[in-house]
Formats: sequence, structure tokens, C-alpha cells
Amino acid sequence: MLDIRSLSKKFGSGAGAFHALKSIDITIEEGEFFTLLGPSGCGKTTLLRMIAGFEQPSGGQLVLDGKDIATIPPNHRPVNTVFQSYALFPHMTVAQNVAFGLEARGTNPAEVAPRVDEILEIVQMAHLRDRKSSQMSGGQQQRVALARALAPRPRILLLDEPLSALDLKLRKQMQFELKRLQGELGLTFIFVTHDQDEALTMSDRIAVMEGGTLQQVASPRSLYDHPANRFVAEFIGEANFLPGTIVDGKLFLAGSPPVPLLREKKSRGAVAVMIRPEQVVVGATSEKAITLDGRVESLVFSGTDTHVSLRLQNGTTLSLRSPNTSHAGTALADGQALQVSLPIDALHVLPEETADAA
Amino acid sequence: MAEKRFDVTHVPGAALIAGVTFLALYVPVLILVVNAFNGGDMAGQWEGASLRWFAAALDNTAFRNAALNSLIVAVSAATVATGLATMAALAVSRGRPVKGQGGIFIILNQPLLVPEIVFAIALMIVLARLKQVTGYQGLGYVIAAHTTFCIPFAFLPIRARLAGMDLTLETASMDLYASRFYTFRRVTLPLLLPGILAGFMLAFVISLDNVVVSSFVKSPGQETLPTYLMSELRRNLTSEIYAISALLLFASISIVAASWVVTRTKE
Ligand SMILES: Nc1ncnc2c1ncn2[C@@H]1O[C@H](COP(=O)(O)OP(=O)(O)OP(=O)(O)O)[C@@H](O)[C@H]1O
Ligand SMILES: [Mg+2]
Repeated sequence: MLDIRSLSKKFGSGAGAFHALKSIDITIEEGEFFTLLGPSGCGKTTLLRMIAGFEQPSGGQLVLDGKDIATIPPNHRPVNTVFQSYALFPHMTVAQNVAFGLEARGTNPAEVAPRVDEILEIVQMAHLRDRKSSQMSGGQQQRVALARALAPRPRILLLDEPLSALDLKLRKQMQFELKRLQGELGLTFIFVTHDQDEALTMSDRIAVMEGGTLQQVASPRSLYDHPANRFVAEFIGEANFLPGTIVDGKLFLAGSPPVPLLREKKSRGAVAVMIRPEQVVVGATSEKAITLDGRVESLVFSGTDTHVSLRLQNGTTLSLRSPNTSHAGTALADGQALQVSLPIDALHVLPEETADAA
Repeated sequence: MAEKRFDVTHVPGAALIAGVTFLALYVPVLILVVNAFNGGDMAGQWEGASLRWFAAALDNTAFRNAALNSLIVAVSAATVATGLATMAALAVSRGRPVKGQGGIFIILNQPLLVPEIVFAIALMIVLARLKQVTGYQGLGYVIAAHTTFCIPFAFLPIRARLAGMDLTLETASMDLYASRFYTFRRVTLPLLLPGILAGFMLAFVISLDNVVVSSFVKSPGQETLPTYLMSELRRNLTSEIYAISALLLFASISIVAASWVVTRTKE
């Protein structure tokens, strides 16, 4: 178990100082596939490099198995990294690369060769064991980098955007294999990506980061269904936001009579109401819902469904999906008046961001 | 890429200039080499091909001593210079910026800043006194002097090699339980080796053909190959001098070629 406690990182000092990480708290469980997700520059690599030991924290603790490892140099941490550029040693063969960590650690030479064979077997690279690492394709280098990091049996494997250099097809395949490998080994993976699809399909839990702060830590499902704030809702998937107010447990949306909410009992003042496009129902529904009227602004065909952009009477735009199996989808036309229902259960009430009010 | 670029080879007369330059550079050398194989007694009068002057040169003790001295000086100076240049290159590109980094460059570029003859005279004055005080007259002075101007030549290829090296390789090594020294021994040094070899050979060749510093610094009776040739030339031009020059040329070419091959294959 890795406990990240109030970890912060400041680059530089004085007026030019830059806070790359601001007091991060995460507990990563044993055997978990944990993903750090966020836009470029949000501090994912910085956090990973601090766990690996390449960067010294400015504050906070990194507790691994009850011991603070924050000041231990990287070569004494039971943590290995798969680098984005792979960083294979070009003057060594595949087998020599994989043996490196074992040898540097002073493993009994009699145990090195069997371990190298075993791990090369696992990543299906045994047939290329004597190849120079510079003479391989991206996918092959990726496997060797993985084998090299796994060979010394680390407690945690760190992966910094390991798949970003691969083409889409290989990338999908490696996503699947990484996930399978992680499950089989029962090893803790901390995986960095800025690709939300990759994060959603692979992770047990995801930490969404932005500007050096943690926005939310949750499972893919609950990040999608219950985003903590507007940033998370927008970063993971697509989202509609409607301005509203909550008074005495009733939601007031422009263009609709007030409706009682199930989860909200108190008054919250101005809020943003979030709903995913695929949860907006065209026409009426038997569920408890808010109905709104609008006019179709644009239609974009995308195979299984059509992306509809609706201009509501109150001026905001709402995007929704119209499945192409139904006749309703084919019947829609530009400029047409349309009534939609927003099921109460699909609505998420988020705090209205102060930045919007300003 | 279809864009037309300025292509210097299309300038009228470019081929001519190139041809003339090439001739000016290599024809005299070619004449020297041909003359080295002259079988006649008189230098410059062709009397059939022969290796007799090479044999005469190899039989000549003065030449052999001078050649041995040159070899000792070049090997020692190039070795020390390469060692120092490697450390300098590592310090400049690996350590955090040290105080007085600019100073390092001034030291390294001394041979470019200070005219060789000025440096030679200055050394002569200082070393004459030193020889008097210590009583030591050996090759050490020449070696030390050669080391100084060999350093920048050794430094350049090493520095270039280091600059092109991926820093994450060293990070990866540290990540894989390697200490700093283990990382240097198994990652940095092997990857740097072609640069170090190239630097060594360049320094070796530079030392091998130095005349100015050697003549001013050497003790009486000491000769390196170039100073020996100079003094022989002052007496008379023999075919043996051609032969010795040719030997020096072959040595130089083989070293440069070897260095080229080494850096090529190690890429
Ligand atoms: N050594 C450094 N000195 C100063 N600032 C740095 C340093 N390293 C990173 N930063 C800054 O810290 C912030 C976070 O960088 P980091 O590399 O962690 O981002 P990231 O989330 O990995 O982004 P990306 O997805 O582009 O890789 C960036 O704004 C970056 O400019
Ligand atoms: Mg990064």
C-alpha cells in the first residue's frame, strides 16, 4: 500500500517559484491498477517521478508499507519505471537489458538467467533475446521495457504514458495485454495517461488531476456517473450543463416548472445541473423527468446514433444522442421543434463554479 | 521538398575550384610519396622504384630514437589529454552548472586563444628555469606541453557524443538499482567510448606532427620525428627524408581512418 500524504512540489524559489503539485493525498491499494489522468502540464509526470525518486518533494510524505520513502534515492526504492521513450540501453541486447536491474542489485548470477528467461517468456519476447535493443519496432521495445522493469520484482510499477508512441491498433492490443499482465501478476500499477478512454478501459481507480491539484479519485464508473465537479464532468466524457437554483429541495430550471429532487433537501442557491447527452430522452418518458422545448440546431450522423444539438428556449444548447435504430432518429430535421425529457435520476447537481459567476 | 534550394555545386566554375583545390592539397603529397620510393642516390632524380630509402630510414638510429620519442609523447599526451577531456566533458554536461563554468572553456580553448609560438616561447622560458632547478631533462616536459594543446581536440568529439546521449538512459539505470558509479561503468562509459576513442586518436595525431612547441620545449639532444626532420632538412634533402615523411603520413592516415571506422561502427 502506498500512502501519498500532503505531497507537494515547488520548482524554483522566490517570485519565480512554480507550484507543480499542491498537497496531493492519495492511498493506492495493493494490486491496484491506478491511473493518473489529466491534461498536459497538470503534474502527472512530476508525481510519478517523485514516487520513483527522481524528484524530491517540497513537502509531504510517501509512505510505502509503513515507511516514509520520500528521501530514499531511486536506486534503493522497490519501484521501477517504464519510460515513455522506453530508454532501453542501446549497446545491450534484449536479455542484457532485462538482466540489468537484477545485476545492478547484486542478485546471485545463477538466478539472473532463469529470471530473464521467465520474464521474456511472459512478455513474449524470448525469441528476440539476443537482438540489439535498437533494432526493434516500437511495440517490441515496449515489451522489453516492460520486462526490464518487471524483472527485479518491484513492489510498484510506474508507467508514464507508455503507449503514447504506438499506433492505434497496437495501442489497443497493448492496453489489453498490460491489463491482463497486471491482473496475473497481482502487481500495483501506477499508470499515467492523458487519454480518458485509455484510463476508463484499463483502471481500477482513476485520479483526475488539474493544475497540480487532485480533482477526484474514483472508479471509472463512478467518475463518469458522479463527477465531483464541472472539470471532471467535462474531462471524462461529454456533458451538458444547465444553470439552475435549488430552493427547499426543489430545482428551478429556466423554461420548466420547479421539480422536487430526491437527493437534495436543502437550499443550495445557484447550481449547475449536469446531464450526459445519452441520458437525454427525445419526447416524453414514463420516468419522473423535466421536459424542455427546443429547436434542432445541427445533426451529425455518427453510425450507431446521430449527435443532435438542441437550442433550448432559454438560450442554452443541449447535446443529445438519437439512436439510428429508432424512427425518431431518421425523422429529425434541422430547425425542427423538439421536446426532450431529462430524467430526474440522470441529473447531477454540481456547485456553480465561481469562475463562471465572475 | 520540391522547393529549389541554393546549390553551391551549380555555381559556374564550382567544379573547377574544387578540382584545383584538390590538386593543390594532394599533388605535392603525392609527389613526396612517389619520391620516397625512388631507387636513385640523388633526391628528385627518378631511377626506378625501390624500398631502399625506407630500409635506410629504419636502419638509422637517430630516426628510430626520434620515432620512439614521438610515439611515447603522443601516446602519453593523448592519454592524459583524453582523460582530462572526458572529465571536463562530463562536468560540463552532467553535473549541475558549476561555478566558473566559463573558466573551463577559457582553459580548454587556450590553444585557440594563445598563438602557438607565443605559448612555446613562454614555456621555453619557464621550463629552462625548471630544468635548471630540478635537473630533470627528460621527455616529461614535452609530454606535459603536448597534453595542454591536445585537450581541446580530445574534448570536442567526447562532448559531441555526450550531448547526443539520452539522459533518460542514466535515469533508467538509477531506477534499476544502479549506483552512480555502476551507471557510469555500465551505461555512460560504454556509450561514450566511440567519442573517447575518436578524441584520443585526434589528440594522438595532433601531438604526432607538432613542431613548434616540441622544438622550444625539448632538451638538447632530444628529437621527436618532426623536429628530427626539420634539423635534417636544414642540412640536405635526401630521399630518406621523403621516406620518413611518407611513413609519418601513413601512420597519420591509418590512425584517422581507424578512428573513423570505430566511430562509424559504434553508432
Ligand atoms: N524541472 C522543472 N522545472 C520547472 N518546472 C517544471 C519542471 N518539471 C516540470 N515542470 C512544470 O511542472 C508542470 C507539471 O509538469 P509535468 O511534466 O508533471 O506535467 P504532465 O502532467 O506530465 O504533462 P504531460 O501530459 O504534458 O506529460 C508543468 O507546468 C511543467 O512545466
Ligand atoms: Mg508527463
